[in-house]
Amino acid sequence: MPRETANSHPVARSGLASVFVPGLGQFLLGERYRGVGILLGFLLILGTTAWYGEPFWYASPILIWVWNIWDAVSLAGGRARSILLPLAFGLAAAYGIGWQVVEIDFSKANVDRAIAILRPMARPDFVQPRREVNQMWVPVQVPCSSEPPLARREDEGKTAFVMPDCGGVGETLIVSASGLWPNAETNIYWQNPIGNPLMLGEGEITMLTLTSDENGAVTAAIRVPSTALVAAPDPTLPQFHRVYFEQYRPTGGYELSFIGNEVLKGALATVSMALLATGLAMVFAIPLSFLAARNLMGGNPVTYAIYVVVRTLLNILRSIESLIIAIIFVVIVGLGPFAGMLALALHSVAALGKLYSEVIEGIDPGPIEAIRATGANWLQVVRYAVIPQIVPPFTAFTIYRWDINVRSATVIGLVGGGGIGFLLIELIRVNNMRGVSAVFIAIAFIVIVLDYVSAKLRERLV
Amino acid sequence: MLQIQNVSKTYPNGTQALKNVSFDVKDGEFLVVIGLSGSGKSTLLRCINRLIDPTEGKIIWDGVDITAAPPAELRNIRRKIGMVFQQFNLVKRSSVMTNVLSGRLGYVNPWMSLLGIWPAEEKQRALEALGRVGIADKAHNRADALSGGQQQRVGIARALMQDPKLILADEPVASLDPVLSHSILQYLEQLNKEGITVICSLHFLDLVHRYATRVVALKDGVKVFEGTAQEIDRAKFKEIYGEEAQEVRAASL
Ligand SMILES: Nc1ncnc2c1ncn2[C@@H]1O[C@H](COP(=O)(O)OP(=O)(O)OP(=O)(O)O)[C@@H](O)[C@H]1O
Ligand SMILES: [Mg+2]
Repeated sequence: MPRETANSHPVARSGLASVFVPGLGQFLLGERYRGVGILLGFLLILGTTAWYGEPFWYASPILIWVWNIWDAVSLAGGRARSILLPLAFGLAAAYGIGWQVVEIDFSKANVDRAIAILRPMARPDFVQPRREVNQMWVPVQVPCSSEPPLARREDEGKTAFVMPDCGGVGETLIVSASGLWPNAETNIYWQNPIGNPLMLGEGEITMLTLTSDENGAVTAAIRVPSTALVAAPDPTLPQFHRVYFEQYRPTGGYELSFIGNEVLKGALATVSMALLATGLAMVFAIPLSFLAARNLMGGNPVTYAIYVVVRTLLNILRSIESLIIAIIFVVIVGLGPFAGMLALALHSVAALGKLYSEVIEGIDPGPIEAIRATGANWLQVVRYAVIPQIVPPFTAFTIYRWDINVRSATVIGLVGGGGIGFLLIELIRVNNMRGVSAVFIAIAFIVIVLDYVSAKLRERLV
Repeated sequence: MLQIQNVSKTYPNGTQALKNVSFDVKDGEFLVVIGLSGSGKSTLLRCINRLIDPTEGKIIWDGVDITAAPPAELRNIRRKIGMVFQQFNLVKRSSVMTNVLSGRLGYVNPWMSLLGIWPAEEKQRALEALGRVGIADKAHNRADALSGGQQQRVGIARALMQDPKLILADEPVASLDPVLSHSILQYLEQLNKEGITVICSLHFLDLVHRYATRVVALKDGVKVFEGTAQEIDRAKFKEIYGEEAQEVRAASL
């Protein structure tokens, strides 16, 4: 049967060709794009698998290769096979390799650790109960001189004394105070001559806390802290240290905690850093935008060249993340909000310059012609036909940029650009998760409020 | 009297929009300029107040050569020529009041106007102008909050503020429906009866018949007809608008 031989010959030939070079059989049968596509796809998957070096994924190129032979044979019989199958093999390999590259490993999740972090975060350190302080102190000489003065002090009806009147490092002293609030928690701590507090509790790292009796008196045996003389220029020279007694009681209501105060300051710094950067950027972007407006600059070759240069510069500058610019400025002007502000400003000049120039390019020439026709002079034309057209969109874009800058300023703080981001990274470093949680809430609050305010303002402008 | 003498305009890209056009407009006329799209109507009207400078020829108004006027004098001439546009050309974001007041820019103290300060009598004048076109109640709306017909009335009020002796209207009703077209043209007709010369370009012949005291027709920048609307017979129509248009519009003649 001549027909049979005529048919089986290309089947064998193309099948064999595709065994040696994937896609070759298809190519020889005239399906050139298909052939080249199969070869390239096969090589890509093979290369990726080889690069990643996980033998299991060689299954994918092998399956593609098998499919390719099947396809070549079928094609010789006049019927192409769907390419969905090899596509699925390739995707499976790509996805699997991707999975391993990012090291997805749920067993690494440490629930205990997560709880240890999340539990304090449930109580953000923002406010604390308002409280009043009742304080008393008494001087004590360390080390002893030949004639130590009396370690006793009276103040506003309170009396405190130390026995003996002086001591050396590590020696035990009896400290006592009376006339304090009765039945109240009382913190007792040491203060060296330069004003640093030293703990007197367990291992000198915890606060020594006692409860006063019904007459408002406390007495404790303490040891002169081992570090009491660390800061002293001459440890043999007798100096006056202090023992402090401190009581707190709530007076009702709440006040900003120390961290809460820092968060507020940081938030304010971030928002004003963004505001300053946006304002500065606006000042530079406005003149640049006129140079970058095609309808103004397209007229003659010189202005057109300026237009191209300014446009290109703005585009390059805009493509650099403000975070990167911030790192550079941190190197130049040092850590702090100033570096962050400059980085934001530079990035914003480019972003605003482009937006402004698009506004200028979109100006409606109709009103300009109408105002000219009334006999107005050039300045009047600008005032009545141009400014009304560009000021609202300029303002809208500027507010929008401020909004973006506040977010960027938060991130820039992380690389040392100051503001709330810097506070956040500091708090993470000292593992103050309650503080971190307060910062998170503050950032969310700022972003949401600003987003809303800027959207509302812009709504009115367009 | 306005004399257009041998006016030609060639745009920088080489388009010859007007070719040696001459005609006179007597005071108190309602002259309508007709012609196909691209025939040069807008160019002609803009040459009269020199929003476009003609390349050749002279335009003389009451003995003053507009084409030779230096800038300061040109502004003085322009403030006596009101202009109304097809696209209204209002400053969309500004209030109707500001748009109307801006018609007065050629008269008031320029520095005060730059500060946006307008004398009380000018505001009064603006309200009166808006009253004349029947939309005094819209004075404090934003211009783009008005309908097309209302916007064109603001355009007319702005022209009125100039206390014009001549009004140029470039297809003032081309973007309005037929009913509104009549109402707008009636305002222009009213002004014309009060002694203001009107030069108006129009598309629809029925409107031309109704309002024009005289007609000038342009074709490819050349004046091909001058006379009354009644004189436009089929042959003339064919000459102005071409063969195809004739078949479509013949019934309306
Ligand atoms: N600024 C310009 N630069 C170059 N060519 C122009 C310019 N303005 C108009 N033209 C050309 O000049 C010719 C006349 O245009 P013009 O706008 O005066 O016509 P028109 O009769 O008002 O048309 P329409 O009815 O479409 O408004 C047209 O060929 C147009 O393409
Ligand atoms: Mg036109």
